[in-house]
Amino acid sequence: MSKRIGVYICRCGGNISDYVDVDKVKGAIEKEKDVVLTKTTMFACADANQKEMEKDIQENDLDDVIVASCSPKLHLTTFRAVTVRAGLNKFNYYHANIREQVSWAHSDDKPGATENAIRVVKAAIAKMRHAKPLKPIKIHSKKAVAVLGAGVAGMRAAIALAAMDCEVYLIERNHFVGGHTAQWEELFNSEETGKNVISRLFHELLLYKNITIYTGAQVIENAGHIGDFMLKVRVEPAYIDEIPDPLEIKKAIEVCPVEVPDSFNFNLTQRKAIYRNNPEEFPEKTVIDIKNCTRCGECEKVCKSINFSQKEKIITLHAGTVLFATGFDPYTPRENEFGYSRISNVITLPQFMRLIALCDKKLIYKGKEVNKIAYVYCVGSRQPDGENKYCSRYCCTAAIFTSINVRKKYRNIANYHFTRGVRTYGKQEVYYNESLRMGDVYLQSFDHELPVVYQKGNKTLVKINDILTEQRELELEADLVVLVTSMVPREDQSTASLFKLPKGRDKFLKEIHMKLRPVETVIDGITIAGTCQGPMNIAESVNSSLSASAKAFSYISKGELELEPIVASINKNLCSWCNACYEACPFDAINKVDEGSKSYAVINNSICKGCGMCLPVCPYDAIELITYSNREIEEMIDMLAKD
Amino acid sequence: MQEAKREATFDALVVGGGIAGCEAALNIANNGYTVLLVEKDLSIGGKMILLSKVFPTLDCGACITTPKVSEIARHTNINIFTGSEVKNISLNGKHKFKASVLKNPRYVIEEDCTGCQLCEEACPVNVPDQYQYGMVGRKAAYIPFTIASPRVAAIDIENCTLCGACERVCPTKCIDFTQEKEVWAVSVKTVILATGFHLFDPLRMPRYGFGSYKNVITSMQMERHLAPTRPFHTVLRPGDGKLPDRIAYVLCTGSRDASVGNPICSQICCMYSIKQAQLLMGALPMADVTIYYIDIRAFGKGFNEFYEQAIGMGVNFIKGKIGKITEKENGNLILRYEDVSSGKLQEAEHDLVVLSVGVLPNQDSQIFFSDRSLQEDAHHFIRQPDSLLNPAKTSIEGVFVAGTATGPMDIPDSILSAGAASAEAISYIIQS
Amino acid sequence: MNASDKKNAKILVFSTDKISDPAIDMAGLLKLYYPVKVYTIAIPCSSAVKSRWIMHAYEKGFDGVFIAADGSDCPYDESCTEKTGLIVAKTQELMKQKDMDPARLRMSAVCSVCSEAFVRQMKSFNEYLSKSA
Repeated sequence: MSKRIGVYICRCGGNISDYVDVDKVKGAIEKEKDVVLTKTTMFACADANQKEMEKDIQENDLDDVIVASCSPKLHLTTFRAVTVRAGLNKFNYYHANIREQVSWAHSDDKPGATENAIRVVKAAIAKMRHAKPLKPIKIHSKKAVAVLGAGVAGMRAAIALAAMDCEVYLIERNHFVGGHTAQWEELFNSEETGKNVISRLFHELLLYKNITIYTGAQVIENAGHIGDFMLKVRVEPAYIDEIPDPLEIKKAIEVCPVEVPDSFNFNLTQRKAIYRNNPEEFPEKTVIDIKNCTRCGECEKVCKSINFSQKEKIITLHAGTVLFATGFDPYTPRENEFGYSRISNVITLPQFMRLIALCDKKLIYKGKEVNKIAYVYCVGSRQPDGENKYCSRYCCTAAIFTSINVRKKYRNIANYHFTRGVRTYGKQEVYYNESLRMGDVYLQSFDHELPVVYQKGNKTLVKINDILTEQRELELEADLVVLVTSMVPREDQSTASLFKLPKGRDKFLKEIHMKLRPVETVIDGITIAGTCQGPMNIAESVNSSLSASAKAFSYISKGELELEPIVASINKNLCSWCNACYEACPFDAINKVDEGSKSYAVINNSICKGCGMCLPVCPYDAIELITYSNREIEEMIDMLAKD
Repeated sequence: MQEAKREATFDALVVGGGIAGCEAALNIANNGYTVLLVEKDLSIGGKMILLSKVFPTLDCGACITTPKVSEIARHTNINIFTGSEVKNISLNGKHKFKASVLKNPRYVIEEDCTGCQLCEEACPVNVPDQYQYGMVGRKAAYIPFTIASPRVAAIDIENCTLCGACERVCPTKCIDFTQEKEVWAVSVKTVILATGFHLFDPLRMPRYGFGSYKNVITSMQMERHLAPTRPFHTVLRPGDGKLPDRIAYVLCTGSRDASVGNPICSQICCMYSIKQAQLLMGALPMADVTIYYIDIRAFGKGFNEFYEQAIGMGVNFIKGKIGKITEKENGNLILRYEDVSSGKLQEAEHDLVVLSVGVLPNQDSQIFFSDRSLQEDAHHFIRQPDSLLNPAKTSIEGVFVAGTATGPMDIPDSILSAGAASAEAISYIIQS
Repeated sequence: MNASDKKNAKILVFSTDKISDPAIDMAGLLKLYYPVKVYTIAIPCSSAVKSRWIMHAYEKGFDGVFIAADGSDCPYDESCTEKTGLIVAKTQELMKQKDMDPARLRMSAVCSVCSEAFVRQMKSFNEYLSKSA
């Protein structure tokens, strides 16, 4: 069968044509069998060229189209859309990568790159000789979203999606919502405190009947796919019956003999094994920390609502899409990193922020009044020797803003900032200016010669080689050293692993493309929002969370999704059911069919994800993956190998 | 000139066709709602479409913008008015906005123009090309730039001599001098303002000599030098066409500077300068590139790594604010600065100086609302009354904001903010 | 092989759409050059490579075949590493039967940002193949 194939070779404004002789490529393929049209173009993706392609397809009655240009990750969909507009099926389009994998990879060898490009295009032609139009597999998509994490990003996303009439399941691992934001008092760029913000979000959440909040809950199993993710969620009980008597509960907390460090205050204080951290934490409930409870029974004696017979529940939820808003961990300095955990008056910025919340008139740490404060920046970020090379973005402003508040709240405060260059980007500069006006002292260390925190007698000193004062070595005695710590990825990545979400070099969850698809992941139907993706402040997290909501909504708004028809197909004449493919399939997409005396395997198309794991295990070579058949692959190899 | 009156109804009006406006329009349209996108320029794509490569991944700006732009141009739910201005927006009850949009004549019938450029060749008028930031000329009949969308000609009527040369050569007879201004009365349920920003004009800082010293250029001009659709095929000194080999970047030109009324940081200049420095090291391997800075603000995802990469490539970073620039007879420039590391006043000679100009507010949207109900913040950007939880909300219910209209932002942040604005607009439409 | 070919062996890479192919793209983006006769065929998952494809490549003149495997990042299943390993073992058995050097088939996990690792692999594989030829 002969076909009519059109080939476009893109110069990409020099990105390709500076290294690959595109005219030579054109010349080399013009005479290939079935090729009836060959063109070069400055920008294949430009609007005018797209129009021209449409016209060409119609006028030349083309069956298939190939564009040789950048990576298909950028423009495959663009050009598939062109062929569809011209009346072809999108599978009659092929995108040959001659930029990332040819011109850029081999710009040190122009003739070699040109030769390579010719073969890549010829292989594309070989493949398209077998291309057939394919129809998408249509599946129902449930208008429900699972939002994982009820910090500020997750809560805001839940509200946005509920306002778009979606069913929302908001799943939070802790017993309380609000994430780290609930722990902060004053916030920059806002009149509100962290508690205010969370309280406002929580009360708005309650207004929506289509939002269900699960606290103490964690996804433990994931099956299904975009349109219908089936999630198993384990919900831990609070071991306290609903609506207990407030006086009894108060007493129960009083009598509990177990004290553990309170993570809400970053271990600055202790709490009981039966607790409610904070008067404004939501939902307003008391829980028993079962891991630390000794079951002494004291609380039961004073409170009727204590109920140790409560069991953890496993519930099953179906959601069309999943939005990750699992947040960050504050960096914990290593033992003796800038004196941390060795020198008693060295604490982290989050601890300091809680300390301020806990100290009313005077700033007291470990019984001593604090006047002189040294802030050491970039702890856990921009590490010259450590793993974290990234800048954590929020910390400069957070530290400066906190230092301003300290001055406003207490008397006789002197702030000394040991920076590595202040990064109060954008309008946040206003805080830096304010701090300078107030008389704070700023010093800056060299990137490879960080300040040193050490003890001399009972004094705590910070030493710096300051580049701002003619590289003089300066030493300062401080009452308190605050380590301005970074944001790091969650230590517990079990949920992300469950969904097989990829991570970037910085170990945060990775988007497909920072600019083109900033909230989508390579796993279809899963979006990411907020600090699970990288350091961000609250406003930035909310922007990303709303962005992810808009994207998540687009997956489910129509109630139906079209899936790629790239699935495995079994030649039943060759198959005699040996079980090998059934064993290899990770999705249970293969079933056995008995027909008289013969048994053979069939593929369930709406479950098959087209991974191809069943292909090589078949002893009869009876399985082919659509668009990756033996003929297609082998004829591509023929063209790539040809001299 | 007669003004024709037309009427139309859409779900959403998006003002501004830069990357933020485009992203917002696409999100809304992809969820099944109709959008009118109004752009005052002749092409959509904003400043981003004119960029070379973008930090920190170094993919080419055009490669990222053009697919979005052409997806919008073809979207059945999106109508685009280029060369058009919003004149007034009024609120007639909840979910009911009336906008008056002025569509300026292009003097070319868009549908018929093939972009063949014959009119450009025929036109005898030569004026500075605003899309190449004045570095080369263009004709009065012209296609804005190679990858413009729509890629059709326009007549610059201010400079046109009405000689008729273009009309005579046009193969499709699409030049039409009888076109008139059209005023459209548009009804919408929600509005997104994506009016973007202005670049600081360095003529306001005479001590840097921009405008009088030929070899002092702006970062946007350098961007055009480096772009795939660049005017020359290499980086040249404007003074004499020589290849520069000692290039200086002056950061914070018009930012973090109370003396020009802009105390805030522009958020993008450090990174785009570092990016340009890396591209220059590739384009001119023999050249020295020095960046004079106050602080390097490499704060976003992958930014610090990108900064470290520039140091590794040999870009010089000097902490010091440039006081004054003077020109030598050979066109070279003497930069006076206080070198922070020595605490002494220093001088350095360079043969090309790039001013890394900052971001200033575009206050156009102020005039849309005749009752002045759209509030500004202290820096004259659009105010976000609830910047933490509803960053896309403005002081007017149903009017949302996307991108740099609220303050300096890089491309990823603009795109996220556009996503936020579209999420708010979609729920606002659904609630109507 | 002629003189210029000595430097560059012909290598076929099976990459994967979501994991290793993006890393190979990024190698180009970062201009990390690798031998010019490396050709890539992208497939959904490295556990889908058939032995017959690999054998076909040798028959048609490829010096080496490299499977840029998903490894533990496989978006489909964690059994991927093991399954791709089985394909390699099975194919190397076939190669031995035909008196071919089994080292002409290599496999390594290439994560989505492992561009430098990929380039190192290509350089060393190329060196090995050029020498043994």
